[in-house]
Amino acid sequence: MSSSDSERTFEELRDELEEIVGKLERGDVAVDEAIQLWQRGEELHRRCAALLEAAEGRIEELSAGPDDNVAPDL
Amino acid sequence: MKVEATYYGDRKVFSVSAFNEGIGIYLRRLPGLWVEGEVTELRRNDAWAFVFFTLKDPDGAACLRATMPRRRFDALELGLTEGERVHVEGKAEIYAAKGELSFRAVTIERIGLGDHLAAIERLKRVLAAEGLFAVERKRPLPRFPRAVGVVTGADAAARGDVVTGIRTRYPAARIVVAETRVQGVGAGPRIADALGRVAAHPAVDVVIVARGGGSFEDLLPFSDEIVVRAFASCPVPVVSAVGHEQDTPLCDLAADVRASTPTAAARLVVPDLIELKTGLGRLRELLDDSVGRVLARDRERLDRSHGRLRAAPVLLLERRRVALDHAAARLQALSPRATLIRGYAIVRAGGTALRSATATAPGGRLEIELASGGLTVTVDEVLP
Repeated sequence: MSSSDSERTFEELRDELEEIVGKLERGDVAVDEAIQLWQRGEELHRRCAALLEAAEGRIEELSAGPDDNVAPDL
Repeated sequence: MKVEATYYGDRKVFSVSAFNEGIGIYLRRLPGLWVEGEVTELRRNDAWAFVFFTLKDPDGAACLRATMPRRRFDALELGLTEGERVHVEGKAEIYAAKGELSFRAVTIERIGLGDHLAAIERLKRVLAAEGLFAVERKRPLPRFPRAVGVVTGADAAARGDVVTGIRTRYPAARIVVAETRVQGVGAGPRIADALGRVAAHPAVDVVIVARGGGSFEDLLPFSDEIVVRAFASCPVPVVSAVGHEQDTPLCDLAADVRASTPTAAARLVVPDLIELKTGLGRLRELLDDSVGRVLARDRERLDRSHGRLRAAPVLLLERRRVALDHAAARLQALSPRATLIRGYAIVRAGGTALRSATATAPGGRLEIELASGGLTVTVDEVLP
């Protein structure tokens, strides 16, 4: 389940975390499941936090179109 | 004037020059008229009798060579530059030596503000009628775009504002930039092309088109039909951040969202990192709290069970004791002592219960057991 986590977006991971919290808040889970959910929740939190702390994003420059002879002046 | 032809039998054949000349005669008969277009490839030389330029539709769809006598051109003192939109009066002519059609201009008028406004108004009505500006077409902006596309001029200010704005809120953002000419000749098609290329990038989920403030003429390409249509047909939502608050180029109407400045546009397309972190922290607290509650609830349940378990033997003993007491009471009821309490007595002679008066004789000794204590007595008389 965590192998694909690295490809998931922050939003998806956070949504799953919210779902887990919701399930735990309703409280209709057995202790074993609760512990499992909590561990999963901690994992999701760690990943989300890591995504937010991620290094600076990058800027890609698209090359100009075939007939665009504008020279970037930056 | 008559154009000479040669006859080959029945076939009437013209030389090239005769044909061109004939076309020229025909063209000269046509009335003069006005043509609107952008001036490009303007060539003027003091040594030439004519000024040469090309008129182009703003979307680049068609062009027309034009000439004007240099003295007449100079007398207008227009100071025309490339890309300016003009009205030119004249008529078509053919350059006989090359068979090239051109437009012989007699006068040029730079399109005035009013003409531009009228043209924009006309286009606005047409596009509005097509539904390009309809509210139902507006799409919501993604909350977490994988990448933000930015279309901007080689104009450091607008680009810098957008990139800084995005970075400040969300440092990890991925940005895809396409720089393009945003004013002057051919700007419209280039803006449209740049928007198309950025939107086609597989990770781009939203595009900002940013252009700093400028004169009314500078912003004209953003009201070009080709640009407005490119906004409307963009596969991902577009935020327009063109010019200042008071400018409303037509692209603003076709955009999904209009931002007053490039910085404001940046704020719209990426989430705020601080807010995200706060939200995430809250989620974690909730996670710990909720699992804590589940565990506490179960612990409590366990404690209760344990308590009941520990109480069980005591309870059992208690029940036994009660049962025992009960039995004891019943036993008591059956005991002779209870009879004694009620006032009866047991009379024994030599340890044996005396059941008959004749079992003793006067002077005999008897023991009497009472509820409390006992007596030893001597028999006076026997009454059988």
